[in-house]
Amino acid sequence: MTEVAVPEAPARADRDPAVLGTSTPRKEDDRLLRGEGRFTDDVGRAHTVEMAVGRCPYPHARIVRVDVAAALELPGVLQIITGAEAAARSGPIRILRPVPGAPVIPHYALAEGVATYEGQPVVSVAAVSRHVAEDALDEIEIEFEPLPHVTDVISALAPGAPVIHPDVLDSNLLVSNPQGSGDADARMREADVVVEGRFFVNRVTGLPMETRAVLAEWRAGELTVCISTQVPHLVRKQLAESLRIDEGSVRVVASDVGGGFGLKLGIYPEDVVACLHAMSLRRPVKFVEDRNEHFRATTHGRESVHDYRIAARADGRILAMSDTYANDLGGLNSPFGSSQLSTVVFNGPYKVDDGFVERRVVVTNKTPIGAFRGYGQPEVNFAYERLIDTLARRLRMDPVELRAMNMVKPDEFPWVNPVGAIYDSGDYELCLRMAAEAVDWAGHRSAGHGPRPADGRYRGIGFSSYVERTGYASGKFLAARGSDFGAHEGVNIRANRSGGLDVYTGVSSIGQGSETVFAQMCAEFFGCDYDAVTVHAGDTATSPLNTGSFASRTVIAAAGALLDACARLRAKTLRIAAHILGVADPGQLDITGSAVQHREDLTLMVPLSSVFQRAILGQGLPEGESPGLDETAYFDPPHAAYSFGTAAAVVAVDAESGEFDVQRFLMVHDCGTPLNPKLIEGQVRGGLAQGLGQALAEELVYDPETGQLVNGTMMDYFAPTACDLPPIELMHTAVPSPVTPLGVRGAGEVGAIPAAAAVANAICDALSDFGVELDRLPITPELVWRALRGKVLAGA
Amino acid sequence: MTADELAWMPLGLPEPNVVVAVSVNGTTVTEQVPARLSAADFLRHRLGLTGTHVGCEQGVCGMCTVLVDGEAVKSCLMLAAQLDGRRVETVESLAPGGMLSPLQECFKASHALQCGFCTPGFLMTATALAAGGAKRSRAEIREELAGVLCRCTGYEFVVDAVEAHLAAGAGTAADD
Repeated sequence: MTEVAVPEAPARADRDPAVLGTSTPRKEDDRLLRGEGRFTDDVGRAHTVEMAVGRCPYPHARIVRVDVAAALELPGVLQIITGAEAAARSGPIRILRPVPGAPVIPHYALAEGVATYEGQPVVSVAAVSRHVAEDALDEIEIEFEPLPHVTDVISALAPGAPVIHPDVLDSNLLVSNPQGSGDADARMREADVVVEGRFFVNRVTGLPMETRAVLAEWRAGELTVCISTQVPHLVRKQLAESLRIDEGSVRVVASDVGGGFGLKLGIYPEDVVACLHAMSLRRPVKFVEDRNEHFRATTHGRESVHDYRIAARADGRILAMSDTYANDLGGLNSPFGSSQLSTVVFNGPYKVDDGFVERRVVVTNKTPIGAFRGYGQPEVNFAYERLIDTLARRLRMDPVELRAMNMVKPDEFPWVNPVGAIYDSGDYELCLRMAAEAVDWAGHRSAGHGPRPADGRYRGIGFSSYVERTGYASGKFLAARGSDFGAHEGVNIRANRSGGLDVYTGVSSIGQGSETVFAQMCAEFFGCDYDAVTVHAGDTATSPLNTGSFASRTVIAAAGALLDACARLRAKTLRIAAHILGVADPGQLDITGSAVQHREDLTLMVPLSSVFQRAILGQGLPEGESPGLDETAYFDPPHAAYSFGTAAAVVAVDAESGEFDVQRFLMVHDCGTPLNPKLIEGQVRGGLAQGLGQALAEELVYDPETGQLVNGTMMDYFAPTACDLPPIELMHTAVPSPVTPLGVRGAGEVGAIPAAAAVANAICDALSDFGVELDRLPITPELVWRALRGKVLAGA
Repeated sequence: MTADELAWMPLGLPEPNVVVAVSVNGTTVTEQVPARLSAADFLRHRLGLTGTHVGCEQGVCGMCTVLVDGEAVKSCLMLAAQLDGRRVETVESLAPGGMLSPLQECFKASHALQCGFCTPGFLMTATALAAGGAKRSRAEIREELAGVLCRCTGYEFVVDAVEAHLAAGAGTAADD
């Protein structure tokens, strides 16, 4: 790894109270607690029209005829847009994060000709109210001709399967990306033992509590779009492209966003259609997705099949790892499409020179897949960590010792894995040992297997060790992959006359607490009070160009930009203050909360507000000093940082019924230098809740016969409630990353990664006498019972 | 026209309307609304009380929880017409002055919210719970909060906040 200068925080006099690194209460909270958040549907405009969308009810169908005549007669209906019209008035929705080598599947706002998934928008109505718009949908006659469909990756690739996009593809395989180094096949042939398994990862949804929403207003050549998104500047780019108008005409505002989790990255068809209505009706148009639409029309996540193999010597040393996996893309390629990080971290925390991984992306007739917290890393973790335990059993080794002996050691960093990922630093084994200690692994091992006398149930402990790539390794890295966005963040900081700093960022507030952490950093780097910093988030009209809130990258990239902007702002503030105070050397001054003060002669001081007022007024400044205190800075991180850790689950299983309890769940994690420990814990716990939901209950189920989503309502999809989660204990280490500002690593997605494998491994440990090896999610009592029953029948 | 009298109002739309007289956060309002307007939409879009959110429109997610005559209910499952003559409290009633209420302060101190979309639902549920005055174990608090979904927090800090609020509350519960 090349040495790259990473900005460091300025050495600061100890201030009381310290801001950065403490669990400072959030800037965001007061308005949200009062019910004064501004989520998109809370925003009103005079004379707003509401939009409703007619969708394809089939998984795959030809649209033979659309008759809107009767609907147009309905009082209150203002406009109806069909597929042909949308295609005439707008270009395709472009992909932001293409899979390398994949051909482009045309993706227009409304289906024309053929629809490829249930829920795909076909026709749109603008009316005086949502009620009337939905009434109109009932009056629209659409003749569909159902076509043969496929609802899983294996049948989609089978010979004779109906090809879903025959104009672009010869089969349903969009692309395959083999990668690796060394000779994994040769190592597999030479190895003392090879274990392999096919692992099925369930299709789930991130399910933000706020569904998607958009309010589009067209006035005198300016399109203002309020939208629930993680990436306002990327939405601006995509809307301008799709609507074929200049970016200068588009302003995107995301004020409060009710959860994202990767689902609100880039535009959706309805966003384009709302703008089309607004531009032709010359009235504001609002679309708020209802929950049943959300289940069918907002991207799903995770579904994949992994064929994983590990080769090892008899002493446990891993010689090779390989994973050939198929990602279910769904019926179209959404802006973030198929997850890509299963490849990047396919070997997890284990040191292996010979590795091969192949990603195959497969089209099916289901809702398009998109990014979801972890973007491939939870999926592959389930595969390799399940198989590590299988290997331990095969070798009759302690699975903790097997993990420890194969982990990358602290003195081996930086270490490059077989697909080129540069692991930066860490003590992986320490986290594993801490987890093992905390759950008394040694005591569990010595107690032996067999039912416990107290309740007749079998106890099991399972581990999952992981690494997570957080942030992107520079714009250059992304360019090599054809990504349509950069790795940087930009911030603008302006002093105001009240003595405060206004921070403008394109990072919208999606719950991650970026307003708080940005203000903490700004206060620390500049030297002012935390309360004096106001963060203005998510408006493209005020914020500098940036990337957005995803990929656990925001703090890493924004820290660099804030450091730079604050340093320049601080230097100028001190120069002006020195001029005011008659001090020759600004270096003798320091910013201490709300004033600039001499370091030795403490009576020499001037309030920050006076300095700022003078700068803004532009009078009485030092010779040659420009007016204003306004700095914009960008930072492109040179490398990604890898978070790491180990989770452990303790379960009790009834071997008759398959019922089980997760009695303890523990996670030891490291996200580098903690900037706000409470917020990090909140992120990790939230990720774990989604990871445990995926592990234990959540699954979007399609009926293969009809191709219909059978549980697409809030009532039928089992997101965990406050009663459904096991007790969770968190521990952490804090190894600073050498490749990021302040040594931070991302924390936003990490919780979602290890939960499923830890629980599955615990159940398999409990039932090891029966030889149960779970290979799919979610893990329900029925699944466990079937696995037990299969083993019993096989034994008989 | 009496409040519960259905009327066909010529508003340009052939839609049955109804007049509702309801006390909302201590103020009586009288509004003419479409008969099919939900209580949640009425609060949000007619009265501008957008702190009450809508997440599923089938009474599962709890985003729209408000108090009706002191009881926590899901306002997406009620029609505006059914509020006639009732007393409604929404999240906007909790901090009428400048200061956050003790319950809101507990949420802030515990980091019980992230995106904040579900927070009004939890606050109103907890308000009803606190008014009940009974002592609650942590497990019981979890049961009580199970009617509101959250995707951000994993619930632990929400339970912490409600537990802290109930422990600090009136004192009557603790004295039982």
